[in-house]
Amino acid sequence: MANARSAELYDGFKAKLEAVSGECYRVETEEEAGKLIGTILKDKGVQNVALLEGEVSKKGNFAQQLKFMNIDVMSDNFRKVTPDAQAGITQVSYAIAELGTLVQADDDANVDQRLCSTLVPIHVAVIRTEKLLPSLAETMSTIHRLPRIPGFVGFITGPSRTSDIERVLTIGVHGPQQLIVVFVD
Amino acid sequence: MADKQFKKKISDALDNNVLRGALGRFGDTYITAREKAYEGYDFPSIRENIVKVKSYAASHLDEMIDQFEKAATARGAKVFRAATGEDVKKYISELAKRQGVKHIVKSKSMASEEILLNKALMAEGIDVQETDLGEWILQLAGQHPSHMVMPAIHMTKEEVADIFSGHLQRLSQPVITELVKTARVELRKKFLEADMGISGANMAIAETGTLMMVTNEGNARLTSTLPRVHVFLVGIEKLVPKFEDATHILQALPRSATAQQITSYVTMVTGPTPAYYEDGSVKDKEFHIILMDNGRRKMYNDPKFKKTFQCIRCASCLNVCPAFQLVGGHVYGHIYTGGIGTILTNFLNSENDAKNPQNLCLQCGKCAEVCPGNLDIPEMILELRNRMGEKQGLPFTQKFALDVVSNRRLFHSLLRVASKAQKPFTKGQPVIRHLPLFLSGMTEKKSLPAVADIPFRDVFKTIKQDVKKPKGKIAFYSGCLIDFVYPRIGEGVISALNEKGYEVVFPEGQSCCGAPATYMGDRTNARKLAIMNIEALNAESVDYVVSACPTCTHALKDSFQELVEDDPGLAARAAELSRKSFDFSKLLSDLGGLEPGGDGVPLKVTYHDSCHLKRKMGVYAEQRKLLSDTAGVELIEMKESDRCCGFAGSYSIKFPELSEPILERKLNNIEATRAKVVAVDCPGCLMQISGGLDKRNPNIKVVHTAELLFEKRKKNSKKN
Repeated sequence: MANARSAELYDGFKAKLEAVSGECYRVETEEEAGKLIGTILKDKGVQNVALLEGEVSKKGNFAQQLKFMNIDVMSDNFRKVTPDAQAGITQVSYAIAELGTLVQADDDANVDQRLCSTLVPIHVAVIRTEKLLPSLAETMSTIHRLPRIPGFVGFITGPSRTSDIERVLTIGVHGPQQLIVVFVD
Repeated sequence: MADKQFKKKISDALDNNVLRGALGRFGDTYITAREKAYEGYDFPSIRENIVKVKSYAASHLDEMIDQFEKAATARGAKVFRAATGEDVKKYISELAKRQGVKHIVKSKSMASEEILLNKALMAEGIDVQETDLGEWILQLAGQHPSHMVMPAIHMTKEEVADIFSGHLQRLSQPVITELVKTARVELRKKFLEADMGISGANMAIAETGTLMMVTNEGNARLTSTLPRVHVFLVGIEKLVPKFEDATHILQALPRSATAQQITSYVTMVTGPTPAYYEDGSVKDKEFHIILMDNGRRKMYNDPKFKKTFQCIRCASCLNVCPAFQLVGGHVYGHIYTGGIGTILTNFLNSENDAKNPQNLCLQCGKCAEVCPGNLDIPEMILELRNRMGEKQGLPFTQKFALDVVSNRRLFHSLLRVASKAQKPFTKGQPVIRHLPLFLSGMTEKKSLPAVADIPFRDVFKTIKQDVKKPKGKIAFYSGCLIDFVYPRIGEGVISALNEKGYEVVFPEGQSCCGAPATYMGDRTNARKLAIMNIEALNAESVDYVVSACPTCTHALKDSFQELVEDDPGLAARAAELSRKSFDFSKLLSDLGGLEPGGDGVPLKVTYHDSCHLKRKMGVYAEQRKLLSDTAGVELIEMKESDRCCGFAGSYSIKFPELSEPILERKLNNIEATRAKVVAVDCPGCLMQISGGLDKRNPNIKVVHTAELLFEKRKKNSKKN
């Protein structure tokens, strides 16, 4: 039952994210996630990446795997490196199936989380499949139930976009031009 | 009345093909895109939720502000309550000085536009950078936003390229993706060097002290992440009681604003967050929140305008406005544009600044239909118009015409004279210009009907009503157009109601419903007419009062009650009249419709919804059923059937240059159906549309539902 439910939520999320030009993947293990991300970044010609270590990336040896694939991994000093990094990898707190939305809600309002997901042209977001919530309303109440509202809560739905010139949709303004989401079971 | 300079602005806007193109394209796609975005969601219940939380905040404003301040302060924010724009400018200037700020980046804040904040800060020698792409383009061009959500919608890529070329001293190509890339590169430098960020917020949560921003470009995220000082400038109307109340607004704002399910980013900030300082250390930033009044409280304390607090600034009212779509935002003259903008300008700038733009409202009510905050913007604009009329008086010619109309004997004898005097001219130079203003629109693309030889009040006496054992009595309120221009509609009404077993009476003392006075801001004459009609119709003596003009019906049902509410005796009579008044199609349908009938001769009919009938009375299915049930009638729906035809009473005289293109769009939609007849339920729409078709496509006839039913069935009875 639980699996059927999460498959349904995942499918919903994927459809919504793809509708707003995001890429969506799902893997079983942390190790696979690292490998998949490396392959995707390689494909896109990425040579260096800002990696904000999280629980999944550590378990999946992301840094090692990426280095092995000849991608330069930068995992500190983010204020200096993110303006020029070709991609950023972060782990996010929740995802909303109804909208294809990612939610950043680190308890400490980690500034590096924001730098690695906003300044880079490609943002790779990693998330545990169990963190997938069905709706906006449930997400709001989940955040509300936290011991306190995190200082920074960011919803991200697809890459950054604008229609400010002649109402023509253009992807990639101040934020990332590409958003890749990897669910880890 | 609109002044010359204002008229000039309108004609410039209409001549601007770029503007017309961009606005037109957006307006054409917006309505369907919005509907798609709401698919699977119940808009009325989302709206109800928004109204609930926002109206609560509005009526507990002090409590909300106190709560917000307490919660935000507890999280380390410094909260400042600013009474005026000057207070805001002073506060931010001093803060910038204290903090040694040299470079400011701003993400979108209409509140800062409202008080011309940039100018003040730049005068202090601070580099201020707008970072929203549209806002940045306008900043470089030295312009104001023309739309709350899409500030630079009036510009082309070529213009943007020119502006960029000038600013960067190198050639920019008019390719949108390249222009966006340029903006990213240029503004990225600004983000990285900024020491202060200023942003607006879409919501301020009283319970938690949280500020929420709904954006697409990512500039709000950068503004709230990079600089070491952050100032939120927030109008007090952004307050929302509880954290989870924001859900409702998040459900509506992106869908209504840009037809998105959700924007790329929603950013929620509660208290200071860590930031990098120049020395590389990470510390909490200097964090300020300014809650700005600047005229808002005055607006919320006014019972007629209290609901403006429920506005979530989605600008959907602009997107569906036929007038806005033609002229764009700059014609409105100030920071806030469109219908809601006119109201905001009146309170936040000055009444004088709202004087011209309030005239642009057609009173079609489309904005009220789509408003997620459930604001009746046209009613509020009308209230402004009335207050201005009372304060400043109307121009002499308008006032004179309205005084004539409110003197029934004089008005009616003038109309009778007109019907004789027009004889030699009826085609070409209609003497209908002797009619009150609302009938005298002289335009090139429209011909006008003649005043009928015999007014309905005289025809009525010759009609034989053959009702055996009448079920009851109905008073017919004809209104001026049916009485003096289209008496045949009246015959149709009586025939149908007779068939339902009712005797119809025509109270002689009835006169104009007062709508022209109401819509021109002359409450005195409107009230005079309300009393005259309440007494003449004597609702106590009949079962129903029927009108076949929705504008009149709206007056009978709603306006009269408001106009006499201060007089308990009259108010009771007005309430009785309101209860018993129905528009023709609604009443006929409520009485069970007509017996199966019709001549069976195939006739393609399309239907145009009157603004008042559909949106004020919610009647749109009834008349369609009456028509389709008539043998021979094939009903073909036109595109945008409920879009205003551009008549709007005196509007077509005040702004023929706007009324005409609005009518043209209607005519295009009509022609596309290939129907032979356009059915309408409003004599005003009938006059407008048939005037246009007469010049352009005289083969298509415009007929009132009552008359069409009458004609199609009369032939039938002859055959039998």
